[in-house]
Amino acid sequence: MKLSKFPYVVQKEIFDNMKTTNLFWLSFASKNMKTLIKSSQTKRFKSISRVTYNNWVNKWYVCILFKTKNMRTMEDCMGMDTIMAMSEHLDGTKHIFQLNVSGKKIGFRVSDEYPLPKASFYPSVPEAFFHPNLKESAFKAIHNYISDFFGDTVVYLWTANSYKHFIPQLPNLSLWVTMWPDRSEVTENIETFFASYPDIKYLSIRWDKLQSISPESQFYEAESIRITRPSLPAVHTFSRNFKGRQATLSYCECGFVELIEFMGRWRSGKALQKLEYLKITLTSGARHVREALRANWVKHIAATEKPPTHSVPDLYTSSFKPNTDPITSHSYIVRETDNRVASVSVQGRTFSFGVWNKTEEEFLKMVEQSQISN
Amino acid sequence: MSSTEQGTSSAAPAEPTTAPESAAAPEVPESFYYVHGKDKVVHKVSAGALQHSALIHGMISNLGYTEEQAKANPFPFENIDGDILQMVVDWCNQHKGKPTPPEDTNLPKQKEKLFDLVLAVNYLEIKELLTYCCKQVAMMVKGKSPEEIREIWMIPTDAEDEAAEKEAKKRAGKEAAGETAAAAGDAK
Repeated sequence: MKLSKFPYVVQKEIFDNMKTTNLFWLSFASKNMKTLIKSSQTKRFKSISRVTYNNWVNKWYVCILFKTKNMRTMEDCMGMDTIMAMSEHLDGTKHIFQLNVSGKKIGFRVSDEYPLPKASFYPSVPEAFFHPNLKESAFKAIHNYISDFFGDTVVYLWTANSYKHFIPQLPNLSLWVTMWPDRSEVTENIETFFASYPDIKYLSIRWDKLQSISPESQFYEAESIRITRPSLPAVHTFSRNFKGRQATLSYCECGFVELIEFMGRWRSGKALQKLEYLKITLTSGARHVREALRANWVKHIAATEKPPTHSVPDLYTSSFKPNTDPITSHSYIVRETDNRVASVSVQGRTFSFGVWNKTEEEFLKMVEQSQISN
Repeated sequence: MSSTEQGTSSAAPAEPTTAPESAAAPEVPESFYYVHGKDKVVHKVSAGALQHSALIHGMISNLGYTEEQAKANPFPFENIDGDILQMVVDWCNQHKGKPTPPEDTNLPKQKEKLFDLVLAVNYLEIKELLTYCCKQVAMMVKGKSPEEIREIWMIPTDAEDEAAEKEAKKRAGKEAAGETAAAAGDAK
């Protein structure tokens, strides 16, 4: 069966019925094949939100996540398309073949069990293997191939569970770091790390000395931050310096005074300009959290009116949901510099803050329209 | 693929026979048309079954043939092998007036037969059957390495593609030179 004898519509129909993983492997057959797949699958590739390189027990797995996928269960996560693996271990080789990956010859192996879907968290997929000394150049070649194949509408993310792990520095490669340094960690090391990797998309951190990070550090530039157990000084420093878009502070040791201070900073327009979503969960000791809504510049929609619901795409890439938690609140504040609105909500010990891409006038019109449609 | 339910085949355009109609007979008498492939075996197929093929449906809706005219003028599909056309006719009959299931497991397992079926179905514009066939073709390479895929689908290597491209360029150059020479000859 000669695929090239089929007309283009048939070739496209065949490709449309293939899993992305299989298309990826087909693309290695020839340059022309790669070009044909790319041109016929633009719609599919544009629906990919991100390609992640995940480190898991001495291996890296390259996974694809589609924009429409709503990951609610572990099964959904496992169903994430894993297209290949990478390893710097040369043993246990079963079935080897060599491929030209962006001009570099790289060895691949397939385990006898392949394909073995969903047998483990990551299914058994063809695995590139290389000597540890060559991993930097191997990663570069593989990333160049993958980013050329899926195109520039996709976000490429390298995930690391420690800043001490190997992280390549490559074009179009953003970073997603989870780091829980211990108390003995020196601030300088952390700052050096942030200075070396300025394109941090997502950062999850728990560190007792967070406030010691310099306000100029790239740490505050991360697009999305998740901080666990920040101390009071850390909260102050954070609200003064954060320049990213989304933040979640869990088990936060602060009270309503800090929440008012935070809202005041945003309202003045002098800080948190890019912020679109913030969620703060306070510790069980927190009292009178609702007092935060009594600041005299917090405005309220009439109780009889239905407030609009705020939700934006969640940048927290391993999230089990595509969007941030919805905020439906009668309370809102208006930024002085551009008249933009943010919905503010307090539910139990959770403070939520969602910035609208609307002025107060537009926001109130939206409230009015939702009344009419009801 | 099972044998036809409504249409049958016969050798040469002689007298095609018809299988008994299904129990639920339509109120209006159904019209039939005739098709044949490379082997000239004529298949009598109902208009309802032929609706699956956008190409034939388009042809018959413009013709307004009587039964006699249809019999005398079978649609010739000389580019389709007889056994492949038989498969297509069987499929159209089996799925006549029914919603198509999400999968069809009765497609040929042999690569070359499937290949010919895909080409025929694409030519006849039978959308659902084309999707089934393409799914089956796609399944052939599931979990295979690039080398294995190349073998199954006979994909040329980069070197072969380059050589073919060079050859095509050379041929085009020669043809252009020939045309120029002919034009010069004409001018004289």
